[in-house]
Amino acid sequence: MSEKNQVKRGSYASGRRELKEIVETCEAISERKFNPFFLDVRLGVETLRQYFPFWETFADHCLDAHTLNRLSEVVRLQNTQLKFQSSMLYADPEFIARKIDRMSEKRLAEVLLQSWHPLSEMEQLTEQTLVNAINYWNALLPIAARWKRREHMDSKQPSPASNDTLIGLGIRGEDFDQQLTRLLDELRDVYKSSGYVGYWNFIRRPEYQETVNRAYLVSFLVTYDYVKLHVHEDELSLVPTDQPSGKAKPSATSFPIPIPRSD
Amino acid sequence: MQDKETAQNFYSDRLKRAIHLLLFRRGKMPGAKEWELKEKLGKNFEQVIEQLNQLLSELDLEIKKVKESSSMETTQEGEIHPGDMTRYYITLKGSLGLKEAKMIGWRIDNLAALAASIAYLLSKQGKAPREDLERLLSNKFGKWKAVTLVDVFLRTGYLEEDDAGVTSIGWRTQSEVDLKTLMTKMAEVKL
Repeated sequence: MSEKNQVKRGSYASGRRELKEIVETCEAISERKFNPFFLDVRLGVETLRQYFPFWETFADHCLDAHTLNRLSEVVRLQNTQLKFQSSMLYADPEFIARKIDRMSEKRLAEVLLQSWHPLSEMEQLTEQTLVNAINYWNALLPIAARWKRREHMDSKQPSPASNDTLIGLGIRGEDFDQQLTRLLDELRDVYKSSGYVGYWNFIRRPEYQETVNRAYLVSFLVTYDYVKLHVHEDELSLVPTDQPSGKAKPSATSFPIPIPRSD
Repeated sequence: MQDKETAQNFYSDRLKRAIHLLLFRRGKMPGAKEWELKEKLGKNFEQVIEQLNQLLSELDLEIKKVKESSSMETTQEGEIHPGDMTRYYITLKGSLGLKEAKMIGWRIDNLAALAASIAYLLSKQGKAPREDLERLLSNKFGKWKAVTLVDVFLRTGYLEEDDAGVTSIGWRTQSEVDLKTLMTKMAEVKL
């Protein structure tokens, strides 16, 4: 009798495990991580049938029903895939990825332009745009004052850009990606050795231009979740993220940090 | 004869109302919903739209009818319009050249990335994980730019992303891009 119970308990445990694995695979297929035909639906149904007599609790029956529901979703996706493959839009993803990789940017843009019919719409005055316009007008200095201000401004005649300027602007020299990766590595090293990275200590360099450039690169790292910026009263610190998402948060807010020349 | 004139005046008034509804943006999205047109133009609004379409075709514009994915919407009067998911837009009938596209603020690399994104998603039945799309774009445009470009396409409605991080074709792509032509042109390109 106890041997029979042991067999039942073993079947019960392995059954739950197998059903959970089926559900996970179905979820991955729904999230387009695998091809819908990756899963043998018939085998899944047979597994359900095999373990059905062992289920006793409400939770087990719920798991059974949930698995069946997920399997039916995979069947629906298989059906959609077959219909899609027989349509005009079907192209092998690998083939398309290879083409994209080998086509020039200009050729890709031309392909889009041949099939692109942009929307046409007109902007008009609304209550909000009128309020914005009035605020702008009220804050605007008289023309004489603006001319005066302009006269005081030191302006330079245009001159050819030097090699250093071009490198500084990121037009020549090291690639932007490489600069970011290098700075992130540097930040991780500092954090590893001292456990704390002050924002100003990290970005500040003897040259003002270099300081601004480092702040600019850090802002990218913060925006795309590679680094977290912590604010404690007047203290700003940076903490590298363990598992960066690499995505900008939709709810993220701007945090402007002025960089005075004297600092 | 008099009846004919009355009918023409009646139509020109409705045509004006229709073009105002379609051209001037009132909410977050351009164009007008089917129920809005029905409400403002009457039951035979489709005939008005058809007549307006004929006039616009001379200006290389056309009215496009697109099915949306939203389900319910409430009007100002509190009425609920279930199942009305059709929106009408005015789009360019012909196509733009590279120079014209640049003039309206598009960069060639952004257009190329959009073409690549749409073609890739279509080859995956319209949906793919965001990481896969970014990986594809980063091979061509660099990692950081790929992330930024996907953000831009999501913000402008060309792509959509759900909570699970799966990207799909957005409402703007469905309204503006002839998907069959795009895939045919992609297939025709010789390397």
